[in-house]
Amino acid sequence: MIPSGAVAPNRLRVAVVASDAAMRSRLAEIIFECGHALVEVAAAPDALLTDGTADGTALASAVVLGDGEGDSAGLLPPDASAAQIDAALRAVAAGLTVRWPARQVPAFGSLPEEPPVLLTPREVEVLTAIGNGLSNKAAARQLGISPHTVKFHIESLFRKLGASSRAEAVAKGLKRQIVEF
Amino acid sequence: MPADAQNPLILFSEALAERARLARPLVAGITTQGHRTRPGTVWRKDVVVASEQAFPDVAEARVSLADGRNLAAQVAGRDPGTNVIALRVDGVSDPAPLAAAEPQPGALALAFGADQIGLGVRLGVIHSVGPSWHSRAGGRIDRRITLDIALTRREEGGPVLDAAGGLLGISTLGPHGSVLVIPRSTVDAVLEPLLSKGRVERGWLGVAVQPVLVPETLQAAAGQSRGLMVMGVSKDGPAAQAAVHVGDILVAIGGESVTSSAMVAQRLGPDSVGRQVELRLIRAGQLLAFNATVGVRPPQ
Repeated sequence: MIPSGAVAPNRLRVAVVASDAAMRSRLAEIIFECGHALVEVAAAPDALLTDGTADGTALASAVVLGDGEGDSAGLLPPDASAAQIDAALRAVAAGLTVRWPARQVPAFGSLPEEPPVLLTPREVEVLTAIGNGLSNKAAARQLGISPHTVKFHIESLFRKLGASSRAEAVAKGLKRQIVEF
Repeated sequence: MPADAQNPLILFSEALAERARLARPLVAGITTQGHRTRPGTVWRKDVVVASEQAFPDVAEARVSLADGRNLAAQVAGRDPGTNVIALRVDGVSDPAPLAAAEPQPGALALAFGADQIGLGVRLGVIHSVGPSWHSRAGGRIDRRITLDIALTRREEGGPVLDAAGGLLGISTLGPHGSVLVIPRSTVDAVLEPLLSKGRVERGWLGVAVQPVLVPETLQAAAGQSRGLMVMGVSKDGPAAQAAVHVGDILVAIGGESVTSSAMVAQRLGPDSVGRQVELRLIRAGQLLAFNATVGVRPPQ
């Protein structure tokens, strides 16, 4: 439920739940740094900050650092900055959900599948050049071919890769296929 | 009621619960500082394995077992290539799991996990079975077994059993929410190096490659229409020392044609380390050969 007050109070009442005393004091320090008041869990806090190991993560307005599953309102990396933690606490206190972009579910993957259409070495060179941000003219100069030829290769690349922009062509043709050995 | 005793659904349910009970000694709950309990698989005497990819970067853990004991464990080694982490846990007896039958698509499979509450069981069928494959981190996995079982982030790494109770391997989260099995034979193959050296060494050339078409005029000379274009060369790596350049097209390693990254991975298994190999390349319209000494793939 979204609280009726449109603006979160400047100073939140935040509770801290942590697995050990050292973690607890680290989190409490961040609360003070952000200018919030540290309160007990039982005192109906605006938000709860936890390292995700203890109970209390199910509280509607909990910010979990690190290992949290998807049920908490706030999920941040274990090394989140004080500014990020502050922003997340304010957001969950206002009834919002916070996620961080790099939060990924692990995925043990295979080497890239063989592409259905292979590029020629020249096409790969042209794609690399435009991937480096070069214009057709600059790419032509670098590869020692005419700008007209570069344009010809780019059209062929778009067709082969089913791409409609240079960025899409680079993503489809290059980034997904390169493997280090 | 006699009628219920004959009900196939009840018999099926009882059989599953019995399987779970028998599987219990294979399932370990692993706890590390600051993290919730995750599953592991009791592999043999004094050894527990788990999924490597999401395992925290720690040296020590606690392992809880079916008999109620909670034991100290040391991380003996980890292999991102096969997604296996091995823990040494003194005092664990060999659970002697049964051998699994050849996995068949559609056959039932049970995936076990453990959390702070205890045993977790999931049931589904084997979704697909394919040949061996190579992971992005260069490891060879003996079979590509996928399950139609969904696991959460903290449920991977436990044992997967077939309907007869045979150990298929350990569960692993794959791309796009898929659940894979790292086969028992693959875990067995990496266990010795993990326990003795802490890692699995694989071959390394120090190149980044991308599959390309071999220019038509050179296809006959190269004997193939596909090759791997060198997009980058690691400074001082084996390829750099062999004078491989960006733009070269790699067509063979050690006399064997390579046309895909999987074929390169095949040539760079653990036994390739330290070997002298011939790299056949196309450069500026010519077929050339260089000798390189295969190095050890650096940790990612």
